Amino acid sequence: MFKDLFYILVFPGFAFLSLFALAAEFYDRKLYARLQNRVGPPWFQPLADFIKLCAKEDVIPEAANQNIFKVMPVFVLASVVTASFYIPLWNNTALLSFNGDVIVVLYLLTIPTLGFFVGGWYSSSLFARLGSVRTITQLFTYEVPLFMGILASALLADTWSLSELVSFYSQHGWLWLCNFVGFAVCLLALLGKLEKTPFDIPEAETEIVAGSFTEYSGRLLAFLRLSTDIEMIVGSALLAAVFLPFSFNLGPGLGFILFISKVMFIVSLLSLARTVAARLRLDQMITFCWKILTPLALLQVFINLILKAKLIR
Amino acid sequence: MSTVSNIVNWARIKSPWLLHFNTGACNACDIEIIAALTPRYDLERFGIQLKGTPRHADILVCSGPVTRQIEDRLVRIYEQMPEPKFVIAVGTCSCTGGVFKGCYNVKAGIDSAIPVAAYIPGCPASPKAIIDGVVKLLSSLKEK
Repeated sequence: MFKDLFYILVFPGFAFLSLFALAAEFYDRKLYARLQNRVGPPWFQPLADFIKLCAKEDVIPEAANQNIFKVMPVFVLASVVTASFYIPLWNNTALLSFNGDVIVVLYLLTIPTLGFFVGGWYSSSLFARLGSVRTITQLFTYEVPLFMGILASALLADTWSLSELVSFYSQHGWLWLCNFVGFAVCLLALLGKLEKTPFDIPEAETEIVAGSFTEYSGRLLAFLRLSTDIEMIVGSALLAAVFLPFSFNLGPGLGFILFISKVMFIVSLLSLARTVAARLRLDQMITFCWKILTPLALLQVFINLILKAKLIR
Repeated sequence: MSTVSNIVNWARIKSPWLLHFNTGACNACDIEIIAALTPRYDLERFGIQLKGTPRHADILVCSGPVTRQIEDRLVRIYEQMPEPKFVIAVGTCSCTGGVFKGCYNVKAGIDSAIPVAAYIPGCPASPKAIIDGVVKLLSSLKEK
């Protein structure tokens, strides 16, 4: 009982993920600033933003559906925290694991997108509704390459459990390097999932003020921001587990440092992409995802099928 | 002050989010405000970010005199912002009405419509003056 509560609330649950997410947001913003030749925010910036938003007035529009508007941020936060339980951190067994948890994690990471859609839609603001529609349109473009890229590597390991996938790759030396194409595809798809700059069409602040978040303020906005940060961490941890599955036998101390540095490496790739690219139009993104990313993900599936045939023989 | 309100006050000072609103300016002050937000002056080192929606903003940065047409909208945007909120008037016109004072279509400065926390004069106010004004407003919060 106490152990479960500890797992859910402290480690690797809510407290650890929140702190790590705030640290990662700082790292992301600082790196972004340094790449633009700026000084950037101080280290406590995400924490100050969070406290300030928590202390602000909650404005709930009269036209909005009160219950859905209030519940959605908590719902989103719960789903991303739950997803983290299935991802192996430093050893090759996650906290919870069963055959098929790759699918569960992928779907739990889809819930935030749906949450933003529903929350934005029911806030009854024109801008929020436009943002919601864009969110859901974007979902149909990046989700397919992301699933295909991650499942291609699961195909090679012949398991749909993340823990078994990690132990398969740690037994097979440098085999994980063959998933490079899938890694690149999933990294770009993750940018779309996190609504970061080349694909930040749903919250394009120069066009539709703040997308689905337009009507959110105060505590609800604080939790929405926190859950997007945690989503970034959990998404990066998923990519780290699937595409960088090496040295999972270092023990808690070194393994933890290695886990953090793997996640930070993926976060820095994300901020690099954010710096060098400008926002695409929605139709450009659809074309890019369906005509470039999906064939590349198919290529990865093809490579892995050939590799699997060779390995079995 | 208790510890909690100290922490909250610290967070407020460290993370002001701006909303920029043109109430009828000639665009010169707007160009200077945008210039102050560019990487050259890097306002993010004070935690300042430009937001698109009044719901997210703490500070309303207004430029220009209040025209009769924009007055209702200005008040509405001010009321859409969640408490605590502050207003900064940038430029001579938004402080007093400037050369437009007394025109048939113009009320006086921003403070004729909504309460103003800081005035930054200048025609147009330079980015350095704007940053100085914002920092002075934030440090006045510290004393309370």
